[in-house]
Amino acid sequence: MRTSTDAQNRESPEQRVGRLVAQLRNHALWDSLLIFSPPLLVAIYLAVYLYRGAWIAPIAFLLLSGAVIGVGLLAVMIRTRPLIPSVRSAARLVDEKTEAKDRFLTLATIDMARWPASLVGRLRREAATLLERIDFRREFPYRIKRSFYWSFLVSLIVAALFHLSMPLMGSSRRPAPAYEKLSELAEKMAQRPSLSALAHDLRTLAMKLEHPNVAEQEKQTLIHKTLEQVEKQQKKEEEKESRALLGEASSTLQGLEQQSARSQQKDAEKGGGGAQSNPSQEGQGERKQSQGGGGGDSKGELNAERSKDMQQGQGARGAPKEQSKEKNQQSQRDGKDNQPDPSNKSDKDTGKELTGKTPGGSQEKLGRSRSEEIPQGAPPAERFYQPGEQGKEGVKGARYVTVQLPEELAADSKGEGAISKPSKETRAYLKVPVSNAPLPAYVPDAPTEKQPLPLEYRGIIR
Amino acid sequence: MEPERFQQVFKRLEAEVRKVIVGHDDVIRQVLIAFFAGGHVLLEGVPGLGKTLLVKSLSHVLGVSFKRIQFTPDLMPSDIVGTEVLTEANGRREFQFKKGPIFAHVVLADEINRATPKTQSAVLEAMEEKQVTVFGESHTLASPFIVLATQNPIELEGTYPLPEAQLDRFFFKLMVAPPSPVELREILKRTTGTETGDAGRVLPDDGGKVVNQMQQLLRQVLIAPPIEDYVVRIVHATQPNLSNGNRSTSTVKQYLRFGSSPRGAQAIILGAKGNALADGRIHVSYEDVARVIYPALRHRIILNFQAEAENVNTDEILAEVVKQVPRS
Repeated sequence: MRTSTDAQNRESPEQRVGRLVAQLRNHALWDSLLIFSPPLLVAIYLAVYLYRGAWIAPIAFLLLSGAVIGVGLLAVMIRTRPLIPSVRSAARLVDEKTEAKDRFLTLATIDMARWPASLVGRLRREAATLLERIDFRREFPYRIKRSFYWSFLVSLIVAALFHLSMPLMGSSRRPAPAYEKLSELAEKMAQRPSLSALAHDLRTLAMKLEHPNVAEQEKQTLIHKTLEQVEKQQKKEEEKESRALLGEASSTLQGLEQQSARSQQKDAEKGGGGAQSNPSQEGQGERKQSQGGGGGDSKGELNAERSKDMQQGQGARGAPKEQSKEKNQQSQRDGKDNQPDPSNKSDKDTGKELTGKTPGGSQEKLGRSRSEEIPQGAPPAERFYQPGEQGKEGVKGARYVTVQLPEELAADSKGEGAISKPSKETRAYLKVPVSNAPLPAYVPDAPTEKQPLPLEYRGIIR
Repeated sequence: MEPERFQQVFKRLEAEVRKVIVGHDDVIRQVLIAFFAGGHVLLEGVPGLGKTLLVKSLSHVLGVSFKRIQFTPDLMPSDIVGTEVLTEANGRREFQFKKGPIFAHVVLADEINRATPKTQSAVLEAMEEKQVTVFGESHTLASPFIVLATQNPIELEGTYPLPEAQLDRFFFKLMVAPPSPVELREILKRTTGTETGDAGRVLPDDGGKVVNQMQQLLRQVLIAPPIEDYVVRIVHATQPNLSNGNRSTSTVKQYLRFGSSPRGAQAIILGAKGNALADGRIHVSYEDVARVIYPALRHRIILNFQAEAENVNTDEILAEVVKQVPRS
């Protein structure tokens, strides 16, 4: 400390004035930095926010950030330059502080060669004596200017307003069409050899989805098929990034499927109260019920969603259900044990039915992410048990059963029951899956309407 | 000469003159500054304020020769500068130059505006060139040389106002104000009783040499370029018709016919230097400049008809100029 003080004392007044200029220059720089930092940070925050919200592309983000930083630095420079005091100004400041009557100004600015050295030396000594009175750090301390507080406050308000208004803007923004997303995914997948085939399918699907003339039913079928392929591939895929891509594709497709189902439902509702005005929705609900007796280890969340779906399904049935009451009653008469009346179903039963088989993990995710309006869970086709698979209570309690018998078994069953005479029609009938619920679209020649369960199957179903 | 010696002499001179002159401290100081700066002073004030006594006292304390010229309308130039007279010595007649009263260290030109312009112009050469020419022969004046002229602002009948060119030769124009009641009481005490104040001599008989040394020292006083710039800006701002730039204030444009000449800036700088030395400093400060702006410029700016009609004086205009021109 003493050394630095001695060193300062050894400095000539002109050098001390020069040091003060440097000190004040730093002050000016700090002032400018402090004033422009809050808006700069807010601007960067906005850029990051927009980038993370996918409002701007990465390159735009980089350019924007660079521009913001560049403008900020330029502003700091432009503001700092005029604030940097000249030697004259600094000398006058010292004169004011030390009451030196312009001694420092004279020393700092005169041309030494022009004046008698004796007088200059004397003036320097006088100034040096006066310098001992002041400590530059104490006399010229750095103080944060009021402009910084204003800048900070205004920046804070801007950031807060932006933060509050962005969700509103986000909600008003139309999402990109799904086919665009699919096309993007297809492009990404095409870069990976293992997913190139799938990429082609996705691209085809995207093109079809984009095309307005393609029937909704066809679209749905295509979506479903593609989804299956994706999920299969997802199971096989080991690479993490590919799995992520597939997962993204899967969720997009599931969303599309739900969307398609919903639009179909709306179309059907517009179409009037025919007997099968809402086949898919109804079928979906019915199938869920048919699975109800199955496993009781499914996730509660999914169950709740499914319960809602089911309720919607029932509600959606509405008039059509009334109209098809006769058929149902007939079915109930035919197999009271196996097909309990949905209208008599208790909450417990509903719960049982809902605790049926839960599809794979992806289905669980999907179930959680779907909205309440859209029927949740796996595609209807997957909610059926696979051949040979049974739920907890077997088919007991199931409302609808789809049976597709092998030919030989069907042939054996002819004589067993003697329920009906075998005929050409019956044999032909066996080739077609039969259900009293609408069958999933992938089943070949599946009727979309509910089919009464033929009597000859009663003996088979236990 | 050391600056301390200058200050010491200066203070003693002031003190001795104050023994005779009551009040007018600024006038005494400015006259001394002008003297050491080598300039001439125009004292303006009504009769009876002690102008003549001031000059006499000053010459006495300085230990230099003093001459007084009472300017009248019939005063001839030869009465001031001298003339060739025919003399006879050793049986030979020849013209010999008879020096006029101008040949003195301190010359009091009393009521200078009462002489004719011809006579006034005779003093002009002496003031500026510090020499006179009689019958084609130049005669150098004594050094130091100072003309202290007085003029009466009233009784203007039968007077010849000094032309601008001659006014410009004066280093300072000092206004001698009437004394305050306290000063007047002191004047009465000193002049109506038995005790009268006598100024003692500060400098020895060869005071001229010391004065010359002091004049040289004054010119060595340091002045910072920013202060010189300030003086330049002040003088420049008195110009009502600037061709380049428009720095004149509206007051200057409205009331001035002509601004200060470069002599005004010279007078400010030298006066400020004298002021600094008188205060014991070897450098000029802004305060020194501020103290001499008015005496150095008030007779160098020429008022126009509007200013005369509205009774605006030069000091008011200079105050406006000083207010408008920033120091840095």
